[in-house]
Amino acid sequence: MSAAIAIRMVGADLLKIRKKYGTLIWSLVLAVLPVVIFFVVNAVEHSSSPGSHEPAGGTEHFITGLRLLGGLFFGPLVAILIGVEAGTSDLGAGVFRDMVVTGRSRLALFASRVPAALLLCWSVILASYALVLVGTYALAGGLATPSASLVLNGLGYLLLSTGVLCAVAVGFSSLVGSKPAAIIALIAWQLVAGALIASISSLGSARDGILYQAISHFSPVNLNGGGHHDHGGPTILTMSGATAFLVLLAWLVVFLGLGSWRTRTMDA
Amino acid sequence: MSDTGIDSADAEASGLAIETHGLTKRFGERTALDGIDLSVARGSAFGFLGPNGAGKTTIIRTLLGLTGANAGTMRILGYPVPAQRARALERVGAIVEEPRFHMHLTGRENLRTIAAVRGVEVDARIEPALARVGLSDRADQKVKSYSMGMRQRLGVARCLLADPLLLILDEPTNGLDPGGIQEFREMIRSMVEQEGRTVFISSHLLDEVEKTCDAAAIVDRGKIIMQGAISDLADGGAAKHEVIVGVDDPERALAILGASSLVAQARRSDEGLRVVLSGEPRTAAQVNAELVTAGLGVSRLEPVRQSLEQRFLEVTARLDADLVPEEVKA
Repeated sequence: MSAAIAIRMVGADLLKIRKKYGTLIWSLVLAVLPVVIFFVVNAVEHSSSPGSHEPAGGTEHFITGLRLLGGLFFGPLVAILIGVEAGTSDLGAGVFRDMVVTGRSRLALFASRVPAALLLCWSVILASYALVLVGTYALAGGLATPSASLVLNGLGYLLLSTGVLCAVAVGFSSLVGSKPAAIIALIAWQLVAGALIASISSLGSARDGILYQAISHFSPVNLNGGGHHDHGGPTILTMSGATAFLVLLAWLVVFLGLGSWRTRTMDA
Repeated sequence: MSDTGIDSADAEASGLAIETHGLTKRFGERTALDGIDLSVARGSAFGFLGPNGAGKTTIIRTLLGLTGANAGTMRILGYPVPAQRARALERVGAIVEEPRFHMHLTGRENLRTIAAVRGVEVDARIEPALARVGLSDRADQKVKSYSMGMRQRLGVARCLLADPLLLILDEPTNGLDPGGIQEFREMIRSMVEQEGRTVFISSHLLDEVEKTCDAAAIVDRGKIIMQGAISDLADGGAAKHEVIVGVDDPERALAILGASSLVAQARRSDEGLRVVLSGEPRTAAQVNAELVTAGLGVSRLEPVRQSLEQRFLEVTARLDADLVPEEVKA
């Protein structure tokens, strides 16, 4: 298969998911609205009582904005919604068999879903991150602003965390074949089971296998909201960079492998 | 020669668009296809006839690689499948069951998604395909606003993106009104006669197949009961030649025909005398001569053409009878 066809297939998959306006609007709401509310509320508080409230921008508020996007909830939800949409789009519409009938390999049909999902997911996340930066610098007042390094690291972390989860969502939903079931299972894992298991200290280093824990290792800011275990946020474990990398790799290999296996072997 | 043994020239030299030998597909204990041997000539419209549940859709799904076969061999356009499935399907367009689309996309966008998968040159076929099925004006509307007939036509347009040598259509007239059926039939005939394409149609509508197709196979319970040209199938392989005779004195004519060695059986009917000839069809002329020589006025001498529907009911009824347990027969 030529590169030109691969690019066109990704473009076609992107067309299918970006025109699903329900998914797109919910993703934008989840990614943008919390950031807007956060900066607006802080700006209103500061303007009404400058003495007791700092300006809404600056480094501290940038870090909070990054936590909103890259933490346990909003960014991951966007990644899950878009990844699942990409993984189940053809199956849900009943056109998977029409794609198979073209003679194109099923592996290629599966593979094109992943970059399409990443492109849309990252577009939404980038739009939201741009808002964080606008709020951070425009509303900084006299406060210090984040360094270029922190801004770039924050961007890299957001792309990594949402990208990995989005790709896992594509693989998992292609395996399951049902959009509602895949969304429920992934959200339940991400928001409930993963956090719950991470808090069970008797499980020791087995908890390193939790995807969110491995992703958090690459965050340039503490996602717990302060020191480890002490601010009521999710439990964040300490692990080596190599371990975190291997855990991410394992999640990608397992779920993309299962998704492609199911796509190749299922009755269309 | 390709690495899998068949090159384009070899494949094109094959006179058959579809060829299967001993094709078998089982779902658990149930045998959906039972040793199917099928031959579909290139450049013809071929009907695959059978009642619901006979295995029509299963054979299409198996041919197209949507599900695997348990035994047997298949060739599409000369290429063995699944070994050279990609090559075989390059020039195949298919509608399996009802045509399905991304409802949130327009007709044109749906075609773009398939064109992207088929190849770079396929984009240029989108507009001609839309024009061919009469959807150019509605191509920018979302498919969810299309009627069933429009979706069928968009399904055909999607098939045409492959510039198909072979079209495989599963119950293509389902949901079409009489005008749509007539239009569809004309389109199929034009594809075969003017464009030289092969069209394989599965249907349970015998009349439709009889009017559209050149040849057909009758399938029931996963087995092919008969296959051949439509006229041969309807006539039962020329086993029985029957004519309707109109005469001015039927009683005398019956007596003469009863004594004739050219006649196996003669009886009255609403249309005239129905005469089963004991020899070839041309013996009808000799029968006519006998009647005229005897002084009878013959006003009508017409071969009886059995419809495919009659033949279909006959063979499937025979199959039903064969399946009745012996104690029930007794």
